[in-house]
Amino acid sequence: MNNQIEQIEALTQEAVRKVFHSMVSMDLSVAEPDQEPHEPVEQIIASVGFIGEATGVIHLYVDLAFAKTIASKMLGVAEADVDGDETVNDAMGELSNMVVGYVKSHIANGEVPCTLTIPSIVRGQQMSVEGSSSIKKKVLGFRDGTNQLLAEILLKDSQP
Amino acid sequence: MSTKILTVDDSKTIRLIVAKAFKAHTCTILEAANGVEGLAVASREKPDIILLDYTMPVMDGFEVLARLRADPDLKATPVIMLTAEAGRETVTKIAKLGVRDYLIKPFKEELLIERVGRVVTLKLKSAEAVRPKRFDDPINILVVDDKPAIVEQIRTGLAGTPWKVNSADQQGQAFDICMAQGVDVVLVSLSLPKDGAYMLFQSLRGYANTTSIPVFGLCVKTATAEQARAQQTGFAGMVTKPIDCTELKGKISRALKLETSYKYYQQREGILTLTLPNDFHAAVATEVSARLDEQLTAVVEAGGDKIIIDLNQIESPSLPIIEQVLATIQACGKLSLKSAVICSDAVKAGCRTYADSQSWVFAKSFNEALAALGSAASATTAAVAG
Repeated sequence: MNNQIEQIEALTQEAVRKVFHSMVSMDLSVAEPDQEPHEPVEQIIASVGFIGEATGVIHLYVDLAFAKTIASKMLGVAEADVDGDETVNDAMGELSNMVVGYVKSHIANGEVPCTLTIPSIVRGQQMSVEGSSSIKKKVLGFRDGTNQLLAEILLKDSQP
Repeated sequence: MSTKILTVDDSKTIRLIVAKAFKAHTCTILEAANGVEGLAVASREKPDIILLDYTMPVMDGFEVLARLRADPDLKATPVIMLTAEAGRETVTKIAKLGVRDYLIKPFKEELLIERVGRVVTLKLKSAEAVRPKRFDDPINILVVDDKPAIVEQIRTGLAGTPWKVNSADQQGQAFDICMAQGVDVVLVSLSLPKDGAYMLFQSLRGYANTTSIPVFGLCVKTATAEQARAQQTGFAGMVTKPIDCTELKGKISRALKLETSYKYYQQREGILTLTLPNDFHAAVATEVSARLDEQLTAVVEAGGDKIIIDLNQIESPSLPIIEQVLATIQACGKLSLKSAVICSDAVKAGCRTYADSQSWVFAKSFNEALAALGSAASATTAAVAG
């Protein structure tokens, strides 16, 4: 289990940077998650789960302003031209799908069969996701300038 | 007619990215948000290629592909599958579906364009306004021969041109270079082992971005059976060894439809001047004649009434040169254009030995030719008419 979450953690870090480089032309740096308290801002959480011999979910957390920047760069349009919430949601959902797809394809060199869930989006302020005690949790931080992206990995303990 | 690309993906983002990727090309982008809609659009629009997402709600890419293959009208439509899952199981399953190619997300736009370009012809919108390639433009030539001496001979023979000569010693390497580097013309030895030249030819014809590359066969003059086979296969022509690089330039130039007229036709003080080179041969005659009517018509349309034929580079007038000058003067006559020939006394004397040149207006310099045309219009016209 420990070995698996460490592997997923390393793959998630690789996947986030690769996906954002290819699809958003954004080179994210790896950074410790910011623990400082902030004014509450609207956040987007884009999630894709995986179910099978490895079961869990990866959430990507970004604030709304950064999500708009990401969507505009991904689509090659000005931020003002990003067409409503649906476009931002779809872009974040697609990015999380690619991140988790990459992780799934590379866990134990693709030898761990599992199925991906469809992407889901949650919006709100001061949100956090809690799992039960059997869930392992890891949070990875990434930065583009002052903007932060968090990748939270929740992995179900497969041991009885 | 522009290339029709159908993108079937439940993600609006991916559909927008595909549309953005091909914005600079003369493509029509069709979209569908799920498999059912995708089949309907494909059936109605008959796209040239389909970019199909593997994982979709309603009907996944696997089922869409099965239905496409069962439809007589659509079964030949090439499909590139897009998937976020690069696992061995998924890739194997996709490969077995009979798709032309697959692309793992995330992908760079350039990669998407390259993969699609291997299957269908992509034309840049700006390319429509681009001038035709000229003889003095850079051209990439790939010589495929396992004998380095042949490659070197071609490289040396073309050294005076801005053309770049790359080489490969077997067809697999040659194909990779063609796919990756934008080769303009291929010269391949017909004696490569295991029918390598023909294998390469067929491979190049199998991809949209290489299918129109002219391929010439390299062989010795006596290999007539090989030459016939290559011609039948569809090679652009033969280049026989020992290689005549002047002839080779002409063959490449014609195969690529290179603009060469600027070498012979110039504007001098607003007067069209046709300059014939000393190494005047059949290929030059072809190049000059190919543009003659167009050049003369342009003079008339611009309000001009004369042209100059410059033979100053000629050391001694051969019959082909005389014939070219005569053809030019006759073409001028049909458009009521006056003409004069600039040349040395020796060339003038040589010309005079041919009956056809007896009535031409000769001058030693450009200014003298202009003066002669100013006062000898009727004589020139009369000579041409006679």
